[in-house]
Amino acid sequence: MSKSDSKRQAILENAYRLFRAQGFDGTSMADITSQVGGSKATLYSHFPSKEELFVECMMAALEDYMSDTLKHLDASRNDPEAALRNFGTSVLNFICSPEQVEVRRLMIAEAARSGTGKLFFDKISALRSQISSFLAVCMASGLLHRDDPDLAADHLGALLEAEILEPLLLHVREAAPDEEETAHAARRAVAAFLRAYAPTAPSIKVAAGPNAHVRRLPPHEL
Amino acid sequence: MKTKTESKRQAILQAAAEVFREVGFDRASMSDIRERIGGSKATLYNYFPSKEKLFFEVMHHAKEAELEAITGELNADADDLKRELVHFGQKFMTVLYSADAIAVRRLAIAESRHSDIGKLSFEQATVPIEKQVAEFLRKVMKRGALRTADPKTAAMHLLSLLESELLQRVLLGVIEAVKPESLSGAVRRAVDVFLFGYERR
Repeated sequence: MSKSDSKRQAILENAYRLFRAQGFDGTSMADITSQVGGSKATLYSHFPSKEELFVECMMAALEDYMSDTLKHLDASRNDPEAALRNFGTSVLNFICSPEQVEVRRLMIAEAARSGTGKLFFDKISALRSQISSFLAVCMASGLLHRDDPDLAADHLGALLEAEILEPLLLHVREAAPDEEETAHAARRAVAAFLRAYAPTAPSIKVAAGPNAHVRRLPPHEL
Repeated sequence: MKTKTESKRQAILQAAAEVFREVGFDRASMSDIRERIGGSKATLYNYFPSKEKLFFEVMHHAKEAELEAITGELNADADDLKRELVHFGQKFMTVLYSADAIAVRRLAIAESRHSDIGKLSFEQATVPIEKQVAEFLRKVMKRGALRTADPKTAAMHLLSLLESELLQRVLLGVIEAVKPESLSGAVRRAVDVFLFGYERR
């Protein structure tokens, strides 16, 4: 790791800790500088604004996790169900951890207030498109029927989170689900997903009726 | 401290609803609300300990009642199941994705660690609606129109699919409210995925 990389890493780690403890408004770039050492100019050379630093450090763990996990997701195997099930279980274990639930809550809480929503959304869209690429490969090889892979990724994500995430986000439940619970939820989600996107199933877009030719609206034009 | 009265409480809720509607949650202040009804700030706080609580009280109950009414209309014997679900999805999402309901939802998540708003919203809205949808699906499965599965899981899958294209954008404030006509495509696609996922085959 170069000197600049390790500086960047130190900034991200300290900023993450401060934002989580004090919130976005309660943390200043000066606070972060005094923790990391060095000058404010150095801090700004790595991150042009507090908003960008906030989004970077909140998303860092999820981005690392995703790029690691997706490397192991192998579409060439003949058992996409097992591959997707394992992937789903692993994703649920990660996003339901108390730390990631807290990050997500903070992200939603600050998004509207600090104007970071769009930055978060762009990051999340980039992660989603990595999952879309995997699904596109499955579609190309005939394991899933051909359809809009971004749409399929939205549907897969929604099915995976359906049974577990909300009580955690709303703090109705504190303890993270154990491996058995996430594995069950992932199995049910993937089963429904694979039926819906089976090679023999009709296309969602064609089946969706008279307006199906209308592409989904771009992210910011709804 | 004076005793609280229901009529005073209602007057506060009424005034608060007006202020929130006029200026939105973020810009509304407890002082604005107090000015409408007169009386001291202490009195207002005696009824509602925070702006968040007051907002939740004003908006949540109205939306919750509407959503439950829409869900209650689901007819398990409808000849055209797809039509029934699309109709439900469209009405349900129109209320759930109105600007007020989105604001309440964001607030419930944001405040859930510091207050019982998250818990109230889960217990009073999420759970009863899931139960109603599950009961509907149980009947549909029983008459053989869908494959046999756990109706509770199926209900959560359906509700989550309805939001799948929009939830992130809305929670992150990328879009403030969604027009009903923009919802219809997302609803139809969600219902298709749900039906393909749960049809007998």
